[in-house]
Amino acid sequence: MSQIAPSLKNRTPLSERLDLIVSPIFAIALAIIGGVVWLYSDLDDTTISILAPEKLQRQLVETITLGLASSLLVIAIAVPLGILVTRKGFPRLKNFLVDTLGLAQALPAYGLIVIFFSFMGAGITTVILALATFSLLPVLRNTIVGLEQVDKSVIDAGRGMGYTTRQILMKIELPLSVEVIIAGIRTAIVINVGMSALAFLVGGGGLGETINSGLKLDRAPAILIGAVLVAILALLFDFMSALAQKYLKPKGL
Amino acid sequence: MDFLFSLIDFALARQVQVLEGLAQHTGYVVTVLVSAGLFAILTGVVTRRSQLAKELALSIASVFLTIPSLALFVVFIPLVGLGFAPSFIALFLYSLLPILRNTITGLDGIDPGVLESAKGMGFSPVQVLLKVELPLAWPIILAGIRVSSMLVVGIAAIATLVAGGGLGDFIKSGLARLPLPNSLESIWLGTLLCLVLALVIDLILQALRVATISKGIR
Repeated sequence: MSQIAPSLKNRTPLSERLDLIVSPIFAIALAIIGGVVWLYSDLDDTTISILAPEKLQRQLVETITLGLASSLLVIAIAVPLGILVTRKGFPRLKNFLVDTLGLAQALPAYGLIVIFFSFMGAGITTVILALATFSLLPVLRNTIVGLEQVDKSVIDAGRGMGYTTRQILMKIELPLSVEVIIAGIRTAIVINVGMSALAFLVGGGGLGETINSGLKLDRAPAILIGAVLVAILALLFDFMSALAQKYLKPKGL
Repeated sequence: MDFLFSLIDFALARQVQVLEGLAQHTGYVVTVLVSAGLFAILTGVVTRRSQLAKELALSIASVFLTIPSLALFVVFIPLVGLGFAPSFIALFLYSLLPILRNTITGLDGIDPGVLESAKGMGFSPVQVLLKVELPLAWPIILAGIRVSSMLVVGIAAIATLVAGGGLGDFIKSGLARLPLPNSLESIWLGTLLCLVLALVIDLILQALRVATISKGIR
């Protein structure tokens, strides 16, 4: 069962286009649902205070900060690490990583955030590190898989042309695997934005606060609007990553 | 090392809760994999002749996976209430993509010549599907089911936030009592049991793979 990431290849032009159409449609539909709930349900004082605009704005900024900071951290760690283990000399480590990463998906992000909290206390750094640990896996996995799928004869051709190892990496291997690597980064960004909704559990703020207040005080409109906002945010980031995926890949492919 | 012993002590002193949490968690995994598996395979089969239908089904399924877990768990509460139902719906939607994607990949990868010869032998379209297409695609479909099972084990820990039970209960109660004795044990127990459960499910799926893959392609 080695098919960890079968989706990486054969992205057709149609699927690329649908990629950019379907998630905005979902986001708009969710926005309409949220708007209708906001306008037409009986909002009592409690609900209105949960949904106060300045609160929502702060939580929105917190969610985006958490998502972006942890994603940057992950890219800075996982891509170099993936490059390192695919170099000669680390075949065991690489196979071990590829085999275990599938299972590591079963690690609950919820548990991870709480474990980090128990060591580091409340705050934004705790959440960023926990999210980064959790979303390290897709980026590392895709970096390894992406670099592995580069045709060996192309690398040989580069070597024959007198490229140094570094030139082969920068001019052949990375450009040829960039689409797969970005697919992993895209997954990581979506995970990070989504999981930052759990930051409220350990005092990290974010839109999860609205959902949690709604749950605790039994206010369905607040739950719904909080959930819709988180979902739209994640869809938005996914959409932007899909754009990046489309425009960053080398022209020759 | 000390912590490991106190973790084991903690678990042994609460065998009933541990078994209950494991049973609820496993319940999610089994019900979700069976229902989402059937639904995704059926969708893959129905859409297999149309490129547009296939791609559309895939993009919709991938949108579900994009929606943050907490949001997807709570968004159905106004409709179905707390507990098992909203957690089940969320996990169901999450596990569609890996199975659907692999069903489509598996069915696409079949040599058209094989289908032609099955037709030439007088197989009806249903027979071709059941005796040729699905058995040939099954190893890949099963790999998708495996990915989904890992996903469900991890995400089902959040069910506790909507009163859905499962191993997340240990994490939640540990967090609530945090500086107090046994709270760390509770958090680690919930997290580690998820991994143990995933490992066991993985082994079961591997056994299933050996048992169900058609002899000709083993």
